[in-house]
Parts: sequence; structure tokens; C-alpha cells
Amino acid sequence: MSTTSLSSRSSVQQPPRPREPAGRRRRRDRTLWLYVTPVCVVFLFVFVGPLFYTAWTALHETTYYQIGKFSGLDSFASLFSDPNLANSIGITVVFSLGAIVIALPAGLLSAIVLNNLHRFKRTVRSLFLLPWLLSQATAGTMWVWFLNPNYGPGSAITEALGFGPSDVFSTTGGALVAVTLITAWWSYPQAMLLFLGALQTVPKELYESLRVDGGGIWRSFVNVTLPYLRNTIVSVVVVLLMLYVQMVTIILVTTRGGPLRATETLSMRVFNQVFQQYNLSGASATAILLFAINVVLTLIALRFRRRETL
Amino acid sequence: MYRKRWGFAVAAAATAAMVLAGCSPTSSPAESKGPVTLSYWDFIDPTQDNPRAAALKENIADFEKANPDIKINLSVVSLGDMLSRLPQAAAAGTAPDVFKMFSPVVPQMAAAGAYSPLPADASKITDWLHPTGNLAGPDGKQVAEPYEYRTCTLYYNQKILSQIGATVPTTYDQVVDVAKKAAAAGFTGFGTGFSDTDNSAVIGTFFDCFMNQIGQQLQKDGKYDFATSKGDAFGTFLADLRDAKALGKNVVSDTYSSVADGLANGTVAMAVLGTERIVTFGKTAPDVKSTSLPTASSGGTTGTTFGWTLGIGAGSKHADAAWKFIQYMTGPKAGAVMATGGEVPPRASTYKQSFFSTPAAKTINDISAYVKSNSKPRNYPDNWNTLATGLANAGQALILKGTSGTEFIKSAQDAGNSK
Repeated sequence: MSTTSLSSRSSVQQPPRPREPAGRRRRRDRTLWLYVTPVCVVFLFVFVGPLFYTAWTALHETTYYQIGKFSGLDSFASLFSDPNLANSIGITVVFSLGAIVIALPAGLLSAIVLNNLHRFKRTVRSLFLLPWLLSQATAGTMWVWFLNPNYGPGSAITEALGFGPSDVFSTTGGALVAVTLITAWWSYPQAMLLFLGALQTVPKELYESLRVDGGGIWRSFVNVTLPYLRNTIVSVVVVLLMLYVQMVTIILVTTRGGPLRATETLSMRVFNQVFQQYNLSGASATAILLFAINVVLTLIALRFRRRETL
Repeated sequence: MYRKRWGFAVAAAATAAMVLAGCSPTSSPAESKGPVTLSYWDFIDPTQDNPRAAALKENIADFEKANPDIKINLSVVSLGDMLSRLPQAAAAGTAPDVFKMFSPVVPQMAAAGAYSPLPADASKITDWLHPTGNLAGPDGKQVAEPYEYRTCTLYYNQKILSQIGATVPTTYDQVVDVAKKAAAAGFTGFGTGFSDTDNSAVIGTFFDCFMNQIGQQLQKDGKYDFATSKGDAFGTFLADLRDAKALGKNVVSDTYSSVADGLANGTVAMAVLGTERIVTFGKTAPDVKSTSLPTASSGGTTGTTFGWTLGIGAGSKHADAAWKFIQYMTGPKAGAVMATGGEVPPRASTYKQSFFSTPAAKTINDISAYVKSNSKPRNYPDNWNTLATGLANAGQALILKGTSGTEFIKSAQDAGNSK
């Protein structure tokens, strides 16, 4: 309502804009291109170029890292006829969704705690951020050491509780759960930061009105906080999903995709194909499939977000 | 306008210069005159405080002093990183001038184009303790020289064996029995591991030695063919250990280091590892002793000679200086220094150095004598890494899926033969 009145007022008060001379417009356009061109060049070199090169590699035979003769869609044929592909896709889905299911509420809860904290805010925020400050390799190595069944403190705790040593990386299910938990633990501060930013934009008056109407903490969360955070939630889901689908380092450091491929996500499969099997062509085909999956997931999420905005 | 034209002219000149620079042929691989800096990849960090690192540091310093025109620029690169980075660097023309490589993967790295062949002078060195014919590329040309030797040995914790009233086993059947007793007493009876995070080092090494012990060739007509009635013994031994509950609880994710740590801290009763640990265990874990490998139902105690090697990187512009460095590092003087760090020098002439007549050299002389009499080199296939991963995966299935020893050996063979 207010927007309409403002715009109508401005349309009434502002005199009609004088027609810009063609020469000045062209100069302005040229200046605009000056800003756009570097971005386009960088985008071309760091995204479009590598993408085409990956597709080119997938269409050729490779010996170690040398590209050989044209092989058509052979690498895609072997990719889709590989019985392990379904396993990798399944592991990617379980790992990514599992980590989101943990990191999203953890990030939201920590953001709400931080937002309502009045004392020791900086200390608590630093503590919550700690996992995110570690590199993925450090985080993975730390957990491998912590959970080592021979000398890890985690094992000492589980043994003291009567559960025996914490040999989580020695079973297929245990390894997948452990890798998912470690990844969620490492990444939840990213969600927390995004939620914290959004929470600080929620008008305090809304909470106060609800309180006057007799609403408690739960009602203010459901009726005020969540509606305000909907688009942020979608953004966080997109950011985390991309992170998890492309995750390599934590898996590499902890399990390298094992045991028995139980933690071999599509990204880990690409890594193993390139660096363990020296199969650059096959890895390129898998990478293109991964890219397609990423595009589809992002489009779905963005569509959802646009609807919310409307 | 005038300024703009100049701008275009400068931009065009810069572009042309860049294009010409990019398209011009690379500088000649001929030896450059004057001071050179050799890039050298090694897994040992000379800044660390241990005897091997100190020996490497001393050898490099001595070489630079003796050759003031050659500087060594050392990069510390782990074996796993080298295996992935060397083929990439070779393809990009940025391979190091000299690099250290584990002998089982030398043919694979040669097939990946990571090496320049050694100069003809290499054949003039004839005092190697073992032949060097297995360090060759696909064309049969020698690409690397041995830097140190090692083989497998059976380590056992004397304290644990005494506690369970067992004697040192001399056959693999006895190993299973002793391991079972040790496991019943709460120890890991036999330490091995099926993790492939360290390139399947522990199971790969053991397999390599075991197959030499029983005289089983790995390949026939260019394909792996070790899943025979003889080769089956390796899988059967592992399956027997599993059935006796004598393997570690986390054998699936155990690595070479975790098994060695287990031996050192007294949780593992026995393990087959390389002789390079003898010196370390002697200093840090005196209860851990070593003896010759147990025998299988056929064959003897002779394992495989393996170890680190030095070679010249593909496309090195300083091949002469690189060869000079390799000659020095594998020569008698440097060999005597590295022996103080617990490594077994590969050349007979090294043992004429005064250090080897001192009491301090007793252990290294003993290890050297053991390596010489209890091992022989093998010709490795050009995809050892793939086979090692296959062994680790087959081991994981042995534990997690309860597959048989025969299935273990067949699965590893199939992995090695897979494209």
C-alpha cells in the first residue's frame, strides 16, 4: 500500500526525464561493458572452459593424463553399465540428506541461541564457529584420531561405557554414519551464520505483539521466526546440498570411500577414478553426471524459492 | 584518439608477445651451463628430528658442498601424493628433476611417463647387492636405481608370547595357533590391515613377500594369474586368522602405521612388516623382536627385495646434474651416512666404508645380511597400485562379508586384471 502511494507520488512529482543523447548512451553502455567483460572472461576461464574440457576428455580415450583418440560415448556407456554407479548415487543421496537433516536444525538452533544471548555472546559464537574454522582435512584427521579403536579418546569413552572400542570405520554402516556426522558437525556453522543474519532482520515488534496476545516461545517460533526464515532455509539447503554433493576431503581423509565402497559418493568416485585408477576419461563422464545432478537440484531449489518470494 | 591508438598498439604488442611466448618451442633439453637448481621430491622431511631425516639432510649438504654449481630444492611429498602428482606433472612437463619412488610402483610410474631413462653410465655400476633389471620402463630401459633395500620379516612381541606361553612360530599354521592364543588373552593375535588410505601398504607388502616365498608368479602372458592352488595359501592363511578371531577388531581400516604402532605399544602380538622398522623397534620397543618369515606348506623363507629408488623426472633439463646427484646419493659415502639413519645401502662398495666396521653398525649389518640372504627382487607389473587396492578390497570383503580365502585371492586377481 505504502509502496503504491510512494510510486504514484514520485510519478506525479518527477518531471519527465529528458531524452538521453544517443552518443552519451553509447558511452554509458561501453562503460558498462568495461565492468562486465572481466567477469565474463573469468567465468569463461574458470567455468565454461573447464566444463568443455571435461566433456572433451570424456569423449576421448585417456592413458594416465594423456588424451588419446576420440572414443565417442564409450566412457558414458561404461559409466551407466557399471553396477557400482547405483551404489554411488545412493550413497550420495543418503550422505547429503543425512548431513542436511543434522546440520540444518543444528545451525538454526545455534543461531536462535546466539540471537537471544545477551552475555558471553562473542565467546559462545566463537565456540559454535570452531568446527568451521578447521580445514576439512584437519577435521577429518582429528576425528580419525579421536575414534581410533586402539588409542582414541572416543574409544576410551565407549569402552568405559561398556560399548567396546569405537571401530566405526570398520563397518559399512558405521563408516557412512560417521562420515555423515563428521561432515554435518564441520558444516553446521555455515548454516548458523546464514540463519543468524536472517534472524537479526526479524522485527522485534512482532514477537512483542505475539507475547501480548499470549503466545509462547513455540508459537513465536512457528508464526514469526519460521515464516521470516523460509527463503533463508531454502538458501541454506541449496548451499549445504552443493557442499555435501561435492564433498571429497573429509571422506578422503577418513575412509577414502571404503570399506567396500560404503562411503564412495559420486565426488569420491571421481577422485578415485582420477588419482587411484588414472581413468581420466571415466572420471570426466562421472563429473558430468555429477554436474547434471547439481544443476537439477539447484533448479528445483531455486524454483521453490521463487514461489515463496511470490 | 591519439592516446587510444597507442593503447591498442601496446595491447596488440603484449598479446603478440604472449602468443609468441606460448607458441615458441620450449627451451632445449640440453644440459644448461652454469649453476643449476635441481627439484627433488622425497617423502622424508629433513627438518624433522629423527635419524633418517638427519642423514638425508647431511647427504644433501655434503653433495652441495662437493658440487657448488648444483643446488637441491627438496619438496616433501608423500608416496600417495607422488603417485597422483607425478603422472600429472609429467603430462604437464613439470616433473621434478629427481624423485624417490617405492620400487613396486616404479614400472607403473614409468608407464605413466614420469621418468627419463637413466644414462648409459648407469650400467657401469655393477656392485648392487641385487640385480636392478626390475627397475625398467615399458621399453626395457632402466629408469631408477636402488636407494635402499628392505624385505619382510616376522615381528613378534616377546612379552606377549611369554605371557601366553608360546614359542616363536616357524610356519604360518603355527602363526595362526599362536595368534589365536594371543587373541584369547585380549591381544590382537596377528596385525595386518585392509585400509587403502595408505595405498594398501601393509597387505600389499605381505602379499608381495608371501608370493615370493611360495614361488608363485604374479602374471602369466601379461595377466595376473596368482589365484592358483599354491596362491590360495595366502587367502587361506588370512581366513584362518579371521576364523580364529586373531585379527584386529578394526582390521578393515588398519594401516601400515597403525599395525606398527600396535606392535610398539604392546597390543599386537605378531605382524609381517618391512625390515625398515627393526632399528626403530630396537630403540623404542625392545620387546618387539624380528625373525625370518614363517614357511607355508610349500616354499621357503625368501621374501621379496623392495625399497626406495631414485630416478630422473621426465623432461628434466638438468639430466646430467640429476644423474650426478643420484650417483652421489646411491654411492658409498652417502650410503654410510644413510646407514646411520637405519637404512640398508644397496651397493657392496658402501660396506667398505669405515662406519660398517664399528659396533654402531652391527644392527644395520645384520639387517643387510638378512635382506641379502632372505629376499630376492621381483619384476613388478605396471599396475601394482590397482592390485594393492584390489587386495585391500578383497580383505574388507573377507571380514565384512565372510568370503573364503579362495574368494579373497580370486577377487584380488580380478581387480588386478580389471581395466
